[in-house]
Amino acid sequence: MEILTRLFDSLSTFTTIFLGIFIEAAPFLLLGTLASGFVEVFFDKDSLTRIIPRNAVGGAVVGSLLGLFFPVCECGVVPLTRRLMKKGMPLSVGVTFLMAAPAFNPIVIASTAAAFGVGRVLFLRMILTAIIAIITGLIFSLQKNPQELLLPIEMDAHEETQTQIVAPWTERVRQALIIAADEFFEMGRYLIFGTVIAAGMQTLVPQALMLSVASGPVISVLALMALAIVLSICSTVDAFIALSFVGTFTTGSILAFLVFGPMVDIKSAIMFMGVFRKRGVTYLVLLPFVLTVLVTVFINLNTTW
Amino acid sequence: MRLKSYRAFQALILAAIGIFLLEKIWSGTLFWYINQRYLILIFAAGVAFLALAQTILASRQKKHDHADHDHHHEQTYSRWGLVIIALPVILGVVIPQRPLGTAAIANKGMNTNAPLTVNGSATSLELASTDRTVLDWIRAYNYESDVTKFDGQKANVIGFVYHDSRLAKDEFLVGRFALSCCVADATAIGMIVKSEKSASYADNSWVRVAGTVSAAEIDGKKIPSITAEEIDKVSEPEQPYLYP
Repeated sequence: MEILTRLFDSLSTFTTIFLGIFIEAAPFLLLGTLASGFVEVFFDKDSLTRIIPRNAVGGAVVGSLLGLFFPVCECGVVPLTRRLMKKGMPLSVGVTFLMAAPAFNPIVIASTAAAFGVGRVLFLRMILTAIIAIITGLIFSLQKNPQELLLPIEMDAHEETQTQIVAPWTERVRQALIIAADEFFEMGRYLIFGTVIAAGMQTLVPQALMLSVASGPVISVLALMALAIVLSICSTVDAFIALSFVGTFTTGSILAFLVFGPMVDIKSAIMFMGVFRKRGVTYLVLLPFVLTVLVTVFINLNTTW
Repeated sequence: MRLKSYRAFQALILAAIGIFLLEKIWSGTLFWYINQRYLILIFAAGVAFLALAQTILASRQKKHDHADHDHHHEQTYSRWGLVIIALPVILGVVIPQRPLGTAAIANKGMNTNAPLTVNGSATSLELASTDRTVLDWIRAYNYESDVTKFDGQKANVIGFVYHDSRLAKDEFLVGRFALSCCVADATAIGMIVKSEKSASYADNSWVRVAGTVSAAEIDGKKIPSITAEEIDKVSEPEQPYLYP
């Protein structure tokens, strides 16, 4: 009986955490797919290519700033990035946008300022996010043929002929909504699969393990990055979580949590699999990971904050 | 699956998610999962899911559905895709729902470092001592460098009972979960309660504790301790969590 009770307790905790993440993430994923649907129907290819500079560095810089105009978190950014790339956004710009937008946007700037005040942490979070996103994007730009990293988009493969015809706007809105719904079902699978894993790990892996190594310059960074991956919390509120580590954890590790968390966590990494081939997903996880470790360990070793 | 029936199931699932979210708001159990400040967002999402369901349903009648072609790839039509999206609703209906309990502490751990906010900490100090919640007390302790200034103040808090293995026999923790966003980031916080009758209160039952505060330590970290004068069993509050 004892075992049954504990099993039921675990199942109950799992369900509560699973539904918690889903209920919180579903509206944001819906927003992302709606944005994607409207971009598809109301945005023509030319307007996008006009905004984005031709050269790789300029393109990546613009990509890192686009989040200011598309305030999406890490769930919504995935379908939107795929759509923008389909509309002609170069791979390197898309990747920079994918990495930067969940943190480099007005909502997250506001929540970070609310938690930490306008100061070093806010400033460094945004700068490091932009730098790491740009470097990751530039590395992707070395890939000559983007199709080797991207999954083909088969979905609504022929609607281009339809958008050529100038349909009445009610019809176009209807089109946008149907695309959004289809995409919600497509990306939602990855979100839910990722949520199951995140909730499972939260139910089974003791977090005290990760929090017991607060002071080492390297190990503290790795611990909080592991926590960011497991928690899979929305980038719009992670600053408040990070605040509870101030005083015990090194500043570098708190920055690592704030910079790496919005780029990669369990649910977003699994959502990448809906857009990128395996090799692409590996790069998207490893590059920000290595770059974040390098930068934040450097901060830990060279400053006395 | 044929497109027409696929669309019907899509509409059904979207509507189910919408109703699921709205029902959570209606019954008040939404706050078992996420911070109360998301109420409007969830309400809007619930309505949007219903509207989307209606749009999909209506589009079945039209001839020019954008995906209505035979060569269309099969994955969009897969049954399993539909089942996975319906999973949250299925789990929510099949498994009895309840807020996080002390069982979750085993993995989440008891956090003595409460989530502080720049403004929140000062507000906690301004409250009369008997108005402070468990969260306010932990914040006050994290904020003040000299916690002995709280010694002798009266506390009156509600929380669940948790017998932490690090405590003495005549002690237990009166705890709450604090969450910023959703239960994924919930951390358990608590104050020590000193009472002879400690063993008679079961883990996860809810109590109101009144008594005098003094500073104690767990693992080298100062946390508030209440020498209980009165302990009442109470029912679980409608909003079981505290929001930093």
